[in-house]
Amino acid sequence: MTDPAIEATALGKRFGRRGAWALRDCSLRLPAGRVCAVVGPNGAGKSTLLALAAGLLAPTEGTVAVLGTDPASARPRVGFVDQGKPLYPQLTVAETLRMGADLNPGRWDADTAGRVVAGGDLDPGKRIRSLSGGQRTRVALALALGKRPELLLLDEPMADLDPLARHELMGVLMGQAAGHGTTIVMSSHVVAELEDSCDHLLLIGGGRVRLAGEIDDLLAAHTRVTAPARTDLAPHEVVESRTTGRQLSALIRPAGPLPGDWRTGAPSLEELVLSYLRNPEAPALAPAPAHDTTEAAA
Amino acid sequence: MTAAPTLPAAPAGRPDHPHRPPRQLRWLLRLHRPAVLVWTAFVLVTGAALLWLGGPLTDASAAAWKEYNACAFAERCSYDQDAIVRYKDVYSYTTIALLAAPFLVAAWAGGSLTGRETESGTARLAWTQGVTPARWLAARLALPAVLVAVSTGLLVHLHRLAWTAGEGRIDTAKPWYDFATFYANGTVPVALALAGLCAGALEGLLLRRSLAALTTATVVLGGLWATVHTALPHLWPTVTRVSSLRNGPSGTGITTGEGVLTADGDRLTAPCSSGMIPGCRTELADLGAVNFYRDVHPVAHYWPLQLTASGVLLAVAALLVLAAFRVLRLRTAGPAGKGGPA
Repeated sequence: MTDPAIEATALGKRFGRRGAWALRDCSLRLPAGRVCAVVGPNGAGKSTLLALAAGLLAPTEGTVAVLGTDPASARPRVGFVDQGKPLYPQLTVAETLRMGADLNPGRWDADTAGRVVAGGDLDPGKRIRSLSGGQRTRVALALALGKRPELLLLDEPMADLDPLARHELMGVLMGQAAGHGTTIVMSSHVVAELEDSCDHLLLIGGGRVRLAGEIDDLLAAHTRVTAPARTDLAPHEVVESRTTGRQLSALIRPAGPLPGDWRTGAPSLEELVLSYLRNPEAPALAPAPAHDTTEAAA
Repeated sequence: MTAAPTLPAAPAGRPDHPHRPPRQLRWLLRLHRPAVLVWTAFVLVTGAALLWLGGPLTDASAAAWKEYNACAFAERCSYDQDAIVRYKDVYSYTTIALLAAPFLVAAWAGGSLTGRETESGTARLAWTQGVTPARWLAARLALPAVLVAVSTGLLVHLHRLAWTAGEGRIDTAKPWYDFATFYANGTVPVALALAGLCAGALEGLLLRRSLAALTTATVVLGGLWATVHTALPHLWPTVTRVSSLRNGPSGTGITTGEGVLTADGDRLTAPCSSGMIPGCRTELADLGAVNFYRDVHPVAHYWPLQLTASGVLLAVAALLVLAAFRVLRLRTAGPAGKGGPA
C-alpha cells in the first residue's frame, strides 16, 4: 500500500504565543496520486496548511506526515510554490533554472523546467525583476516541477495568470500528474477554475476542515431540495436552508430516502462550496483520520 | 511560441538517498555579487592606503619631523608641514575605515544575507529546493565568515605594519594605548566583524524584515563593542606602578586607577597630582600619603588584552550562531526525531 501524500492529525498552528489560531484541529488524509483543491476564503488557513506540509512551519499541535515521513525529511521529494512566487530578482530566467539544477543535484529535470518556461515566450536572459506576475509564476512553477516532486504544493498558483496561460499551465500540471503520478495540492479561492481539473476537495474555513473527500463523492452526498415551507428536514443534515414565500430550498446531506413530494437536484461544486462557506455552523463532512497508521508511522 | 521538445521518459527510479550536496556557494556569491565587489573595493582601497601610509607617507612625515626638530629654537624653520598633516589624516581615515568594517559586515548580514531572504520569501524558495534550512544557514555563515576573517585580518595586519613603521620616528604618532590604535592594531576587529556577521544573520531570521534587521544588527554590534570596551581593562590583571610624591603618578598604558598610598598601604584618592607644588604637598601630608600609585596595563599586556577580548567576542558570536540555528529549527519543521507535539 502506498503512503498517503498528506496525513494530518489534529494539526494546529498558532502564530505567536497569544496569536489567533491559523489552523486548528485539522485532520485529513490525502491519498497519493490525486489532484486536490484546497479552497476557502482569504485567511482560512490554506497557506498555513500548505506551509506545514512543506515543512516550512512547525506545527503548534498535532502532527502532519508527508509521503509517509515527516515534512522535513520529505522536503527533497516535495515541490512548493509560495503564494508570492518569491524568486531572486537579480537573477535572469536562465540563471534561476541553472540554480535549480545546482540546488537539486541528482533530481533536476532540465527538460521539464525548460518546457514550462519556453511555453511563456520568456527571454531566458531577462532578469526576474523585470517579469510580469504571470511570467514569475511560470518560472516559479518551472523550479518546482524541475525537481521532479512526488508531491506538488501550490499556493494560489493561478492567481496572476491570464486565462490562456492558466489553461496552458493547468495542462502542464495535469500532464505531470498523469505522466508521473505526481500528487498535486493547489489552493485557490476561485472554485470554478478547479472543478474540471481536480478530483479531490479540501474546504477550509475558519482554520478548520469543513469538507474533505473525492469531489464526486462529496457531490453525491449532497442534494439540493425544494419543499413546502415549514417542512421539517430532520433527520437529514442541513447545510443551508432558505424560505422564500411558501417554499423552502435547502442543501442537505440525506440520511435516508427523501419524501417523494420534495423536488431534488444535484448541486454544482460551486453551490456546495458556497453553501458551506455561508454557513459556518453547518456540520463538517470529513472522513475520520486513520489514527492507527499515523501512530505506526511515528 | 517555441515548440516544446518532447520530453523523453523520465529516468526510471529516483536517484534517492545518497544525495550529492547542493552547490550553494556559487549561487551565494552570485546573489551577493554587488556586496562582494563593494567589499573587495573597500579592502583594496583601505589596504592600498595603509601601504602608502606605512611607506612613503611615514618616511616623508619622519623626515619633516627631523627637519622640524633640527630647527630647535631657530627663528625661521623650514620643514614639510604638509607631509606631517597628510600622515595624520591618512592615519585617522584608515583607522576609522578599519574600525567601521565590522559595522559594514553586520549591516550587510542583517539587511541582505538573511533579512532580505526571509522578508521576500526567497529563503522558503531555497528550503523547498534541495537545500535544507540548516544547510542554507550554514553556507550563509561559513563562506562570508572566511572572507570577512581573511580580509579584516589582512587590513589589521597592514595597519599594524604602518603603525610600527612610524613608531619612534613621528612625534605625533599615536601611542599603542590610544583606543582607536589599540583596536585597529590587533585581533579585535576580526572578532567584531565575525560577531557582526552572526548578529546580522540572527536578526534577519528573527525580525524577517531587511531594514529592521540591518538597524538592529548594527546597534547590537555597537552595544557589544561598548561592552567589550568597558570590560577590556578588567580582562587581564593590571600592574601597579608606585612612584614618589615628588614625581607624581607615573606609568603609561591603559590606566584603570590611580591615587596615593598611605604608610598602612591604604589606597586613597589623590587630591592633587604633584608633591612639587607647595599646596599639594601639605594636602598629601595631611592624608598621610607616602607614594603615588597607578594601576596600568603596560605594553606587555597588549596581546593578552587583545586575545582575551577577541575570545569573548568569538564566544558571543558562537552563541549567536547557536541561537540562529535554533530559531531556524523551531520556525521550520526540524528533521525527524524532534518537533512532535509538546
